Parts: sequence; structure tokens; C-alpha cells
Amino acid sequence: MLNLKEVIFSITNRCNLRCKMCDIPSGIVAELSTEQWEDVIKDASRLGAQTIVFSGGEPLLREDIYELIVFTRKNNLSACVTSNGSLIDERTALKLSEAKVNVVNVSVEGTRQTHDLLRGTGSFDKAISALKNLKKYKIESTVAATVSKYNYKDMLYILEIARECGATTVRLQPFNGIFLKGNDRKSEFLIDKFDIPKLAEVIKEFINLAREYGISVNPAEYLLKIPEYLSGKNFYPLTCGALWYSCPINPNGDLLPCWIEGADNKLIGNVRAEGLYSLWLSKKRAKMINAIIKNGCKGCLMSCYDEAFTRKFLKESIADNARKIKKITDYQKVMNKALQLLKSQITKLKLRYRFYSSYRGSFFGILKRRLRSFFSKARPLRQDKQGEKDLVLGQIEQAKKRLKKEINGL
Amino acid sequence: MIFKKDYPMDYIKSFEQDLAYYFSEVLEKPLAKPLWIYLSLSHKCTYRCQMCGVVNILQGHELSVPAVKNIFDVIAGWGWDLTVVLTGGEIFLRSDIFEIIQYGAAKGLKIEAVSNGALITKELADKIISSGLKNIAISLDGAKEETHDTIRQKGAFHKAISAIQNLVESKLKSGSGPQISVWVTIMRENVSELFNIIPLVKEAGVECLVYHPVIVNQDDMQNTSSIARFWLKDNDIELLKTQIDKIVDYQQKHGLVAFLHDPYMWIRHFKGELAKKDWKCNPFVFLNVGPDGDVRSCGAAFGNIQKLGLDECLKTKEADQARRTMKNCQKPCLQTCWANPQSDSLTGIINTLIDNLRKDRLDKQSKKQLLLTALSKLTSYEEMLKNA
Repeated sequence: MLNLKEVIFSITNRCNLRCKMCDIPSGIVAELSTEQWEDVIKDASRLGAQTIVFSGGEPLLREDIYELIVFTRKNNLSACVTSNGSLIDERTALKLSEAKVNVVNVSVEGTRQTHDLLRGTGSFDKAISALKNLKKYKIESTVAATVSKYNYKDMLYILEIARECGATTVRLQPFNGIFLKGNDRKSEFLIDKFDIPKLAEVIKEFINLAREYGISVNPAEYLLKIPEYLSGKNFYPLTCGALWYSCPINPNGDLLPCWIEGADNKLIGNVRAEGLYSLWLSKKRAKMINAIIKNGCKGCLMSCYDEAFTRKFLKESIADNARKIKKITDYQKVMNKALQLLKSQITKLKLRYRFYSSYRGSFFGILKRRLRSFFSKARPLRQDKQGEKDLVLGQIEQAKKRLKKEINGL
Repeated sequence: MIFKKDYPMDYIKSFEQDLAYYFSEVLEKPLAKPLWIYLSLSHKCTYRCQMCGVVNILQGHELSVPAVKNIFDVIAGWGWDLTVVLTGGEIFLRSDIFEIIQYGAAKGLKIEAVSNGALITKELADKIISSGLKNIAISLDGAKEETHDTIRQKGAFHKAISAIQNLVESKLKSGSGPQISVWVTIMRENVSELFNIIPLVKEAGVECLVYHPVIVNQDDMQNTSSIARFWLKDNDIELLKTQIDKIVDYQQKHGLVAFLHDPYMWIRHFKGELAKKDWKCNPFVFLNVGPDGDVRSCGAAFGNIQKLGLDECLKTKEADQARRTMKNCQKPCLQTCWANPQSDSLTGIINTLIDNLRKDRLDKQSKKQLLLTALSKLTSYEEMLKNA
């Protein structure tokens, strides 16, 4: 289970905004110290992770965020910061670029009106200026939006903003209530049945426009499911890797199996006490995952593993690939690619075989042994034993003779 | 017992043991007690060495002190010439380790310990020296600081060296104590430094140096493919050959180095040409008790000391089954738990006895007496076999 890919650090619960769809900034939590987060980063790197996502609350409220990013980059991991953008002025952008952050996610919910309604007055302008500042200091930026009843009509506008501000990606995620305290306000964000076709249309246009602008968005298969999800239907992504590849960690060090499963205090443990490395490899985690697999998960449409929705079964994917190859007219390109793939596979196999044979013996050796054991099993066991007995008795006779000879020689 | 226990000659004891192991294997019955008992006291460790996965398995289990004392009581009752090796993890992480060692030593057992030296300060060294251990082995994986540190952890090299120095110092102070030895695991990273370890270790005052090649799957049963990084490839094997030549040359002139088996066997081990006939692996020779109390010789566990006594564990059906599988095992391993290669055949055992007897300066009468008793022992085994 050494296949951790992404760790999401919710490094603080504090936030300077009070958004409608989130109740996180409530209560004071004993946050992990800089050294403790650094230990977690070290462990993540040992476990083979590739990305650390700094999230919150508002992660930029922590003064040691730049230190943590530098440490992450030093450990050969990529660092990603998820922010509301309200604190990213030119100085912060400069600091972030000096810390060599890889990507900064800035949330934009729609037009000025919608955004300010959801996140507080003045927050829209701050988010836009944040995107511009990031562009100025050549930091890759991503625009993220939570799709809900309030802002589903503004999706195309968000694309325009992203294009204008030089963001490379727009990621949508339908609203889910995990950051709300009670479930009673959840229905406020869901969409009426009658508006579903409208949303579906918007999403389709969104996909087309994104293609036109050259902005990458979530996979189409995922986006097309959003309308249904917001009308109350739940999805159970069969191939979701969240439990195997990623994990969120709360400000106090609690390690959750995934955001959704961890929402009702289902913990794997605390990294402060046990360390990420041992927790990740612990039996407790394996048990928890197995229980979730057995009993089924709660279902979600989180964007963390949106590519899971694009995975197809072998048959479909082969048909798809064949279609793609047909489209390409440059056969030489295809041939080269195929040859490359074949070569890499062959070298991989060769290496594996060489290692395997180094301790198991050559292929023919294995075959010989297998055959021998197969045929020796066919013989009746008792006869075999008798044969061995006679052999040993003969040996004893010889040994006795040798001893007697020695005695006589004395 | 046909030979008196206090008989001065070791080879007679080993003849008796070899004979018992041989017939145990033929009759598939435990006629002999094990020669080596490995007690894994805990899987906690200070380091996360690259070639070892012990810390990842069986977390949270530790043999309790009463359980260990119980094992020592049983073993001491056997009256068999055996060695108990305390391994881990890192055993000195346990606060009750000296209670365990002292109890075993008081029972008259030969107890050895394996450590990485990370925790051995001057005070701990004094305690170790006076605890009654027979041997303490410190692992050292390179003659250079960087080699050892990349395999283990930063600072590990200095800690290991200072541990050796502390042990040697306090042994000199007290005048007696365990043999201080160093174990080197041969792998790709340190082939070129194997010989250079000798002067380093000699200067520190170590009494015994043991080399051992990295093996396919002992401690790292979970993740075998990770061993591939340490496995010696074509060029490295050439290098190993020259290193072995140097080491063997040194050993013949000055001693210090001890070989568990023919060192040239390592080359064939890394080339994958080793066959079962090259060394002797007897299922009755070795016993391992894990931190969770599982008792095994090799492979699957056949009992747990928390449920059964050690004696009962050896007699279970599962134990018989496990020994049978081991007997038919063809996997080329080069583990440390092996017996005298000559004990594989009866003629080998008899020849060793006669050779040793010829070298001995006993009078003819007592020699004759010894041979006659050996003959009668053999006859009794023969009858046992005929009746089986």
C-alpha cells in the first residue's frame, strides 16, 4: 500500500471570509506546528507522494506557509495552494513565487454580484486582482468554482475571467455539504428539478467554450454528471482512488480516509501521535478501507478524483483507441509511438525476468523443477518412503562398517 | 545421552547433535532440539534501513517479559547445547532488555544480541558488558560514512563506530565480557568497500567480523522487489570476487574474519546458481519466535507460545507439515540458520568424527570406547528406522 499520491493539508481552520457554503472558520483548534507539518511532509515523500495541497481555512493566514512550501519543494514534491485570493497582493505573490509554489487555486464563484453574495462584499475584486498578481509573477493559477443553485448560470463567465487573467485551468465541483455544520441548510444550494435541463445546457456550452479557449477543465464525463448530482442523486465512483492514493489531514493532525468518509468523525488516527508513515501502513487503515469497500461508501461527486469517471472497461477503451488511431493520418507517427511503447514494455519485462531468474533460476530450470515435482507427485507416496528407508539403511550399514574398521585398526 | 555431558571434546557433542538432526529428518520426528533460537523481541526500530522491512510488519507486538522467561525456562530444561539470539527491531529500545538477558544468563544459556548501535552510549555499554551476554553483534554496512548513512540514516555511521568504541572501552575496563563482533551485509552499495572495513574494525578493537550477503526474502517478505536494488549485477560480481580474494587472504594470515559458509558461494548466490546441495538446511536446527509469539522454523508459523508451551508447539501437526515442506524446499536461500554441511550425509558425519578422533591425543582404549558407543547409538537409530 505504498502508493500515496496526494496529501491534502488543511493547515488551519482560520479564515478571513465567511462564505455561505462553508462553516469551517468556527472554533479554535490546536494546529500542528511548523516542525510537525514538516515531519508529515517528510513522511509523505517517503511514501512516494507527488503533491501536497495546502488548504484550509485560508492557508495564507498561517505565517509559516512559505517555509512549508519551500520544505515541500526541497523534498521533491509539488506544492499547491488553495486560497480565496483575498490575501494575494503583489508582495504575497512575490513571496509565493520565491517559494517556488507550483500552482495556486483561486476560488471565483461567478459574476461580482454572485461572488460577493456567496463570499462577502469586496471579495470578487480581491480574487480577480489575486489572479492578475499571480500572472504578473508567472505563477500557474487555477480557477475553482463550487457549482450550486446560486451560480450555475455564471459558469461561462468564469471561463471568460480565467481567459482574461491567464489561468490555465478551471475546475468545477458541485456543492456538497461537508463543510456545513448541520444538514438543514444543504437543500438551499440544490437545484430545482425544472432547472436541470438549463444547467445541463450550460455545462455543455462550458465544455465547448473551454475547448475553444484552450483552457483545461474537468473531464466531460464528470461535468455532465453535475446536474443530476445537484438535483439530489448520488454517485458511487467504482474506480475512485481516493482511499488508496490520497488523504486529507485536519489542522489538528487528524488523518481522514477521505473528505466525505471523514465528515462524521471517522478517523484513521492522528499524525501528531503516530506519524503519517506508520498510520498509512497501519492495519487500522487497511481495516477501515476494507470496511468501506465492503459496506460501500457514501458516494460523492468530488473533483479530487474526477478522472475516475472517465475510466472505462477494457473493451470500451480499446474501441476508443482504435477510433483515435483512425483519426490520425500520419501513420509513421503512430508506428513510432507503438514501437516505443513496445520497446519500453520489452525492456521492463527483460529487467523483471533478469531479477526474477537471479533468485529463482532460469526459465527452463523452473520448468524442469515444476515438471519433476508434477511427475514425482504422481508416484505413490509409500513406495517412495520405502525407497528412502532402504537407502538410509544401506548408508547405516556402510557407516557401521567404517566404524568397525576404525575400531579394528586401533 | 550416551556421552557424559561434561566430556571435554566439542566434536563429540556436535557428532551427537548431527546424528540426531540427520535421523530427525529421515524419521520426520523431532529427536533433536534446535541449535539456534532467534527471539524477535520487538519490531520497533530506530532506523528504517533500505534493505529491511521488519518495522512494517507486526507493528505493536512485543514479547512480554514473563513470556520470554517462560521460553528460557523451557530451553534451559532441555540441556541441549544451543544458542539464543535476541533480535528485533532494535532490542535496546526495550527498557526491560537487561532483565531478560540476566534471567537467561542466570539459567546458563548462551545468549547473543544483535543491534545497530544507535543507542549504545557509554553507560549502556557498561550495562551490556556486565549483563552476561556471550556475543554482541553491531551492524556496519560500509567503510565510508556516506555508504552506511545512505543505507541506514544520517549519522548512523558515527553512532555505530562510537557504539563499538564504547563497548570495547568498557570491556577493557571490566576485563571480561561478551565477544564484540561486527556484521556486514554485502550488497551493491558496499561491494567495493568490503575489504576496507577490516582495518577500520580492527583499529576499533572488534574481535570478530562476519560478512553476509543480502538475501532474497527474510525480513522483507512484503516487498521482495525492493531487494533488486541491492542485488549484485555482472560488474559488481567481478568486484566481489577480488574483494573475497583479499578477505580470504587476510583471514588466513591474521584471523579476525569468520565465515559462516564458503565465501566463494556468495558469487554463485548472486548469480542465482546456488542449489540446495550446496549447503545444509535442516528443518530441526532453527527456531524463530516472533514478537507476536508465533513459533516457526521457516515459512509458516506452527504455533503460538501465548497459547501453547514451546515444547507443545514443536509437536503440533502444523509443525510436522512445516518441516515436510522445508525438507522438500528447493529455494536457494543463504540464511544464517544452517548446520554443518557434512551433516547432510551419514558418511559425512562419521568421517568428521573419525577425523577429529584421529587428531585427538587420547589413549587407544578410550578412543575405542567412544567408537563403540557411537556404534551402539547408530544401531539404536537403525532399529528405530526399521520399526517406523
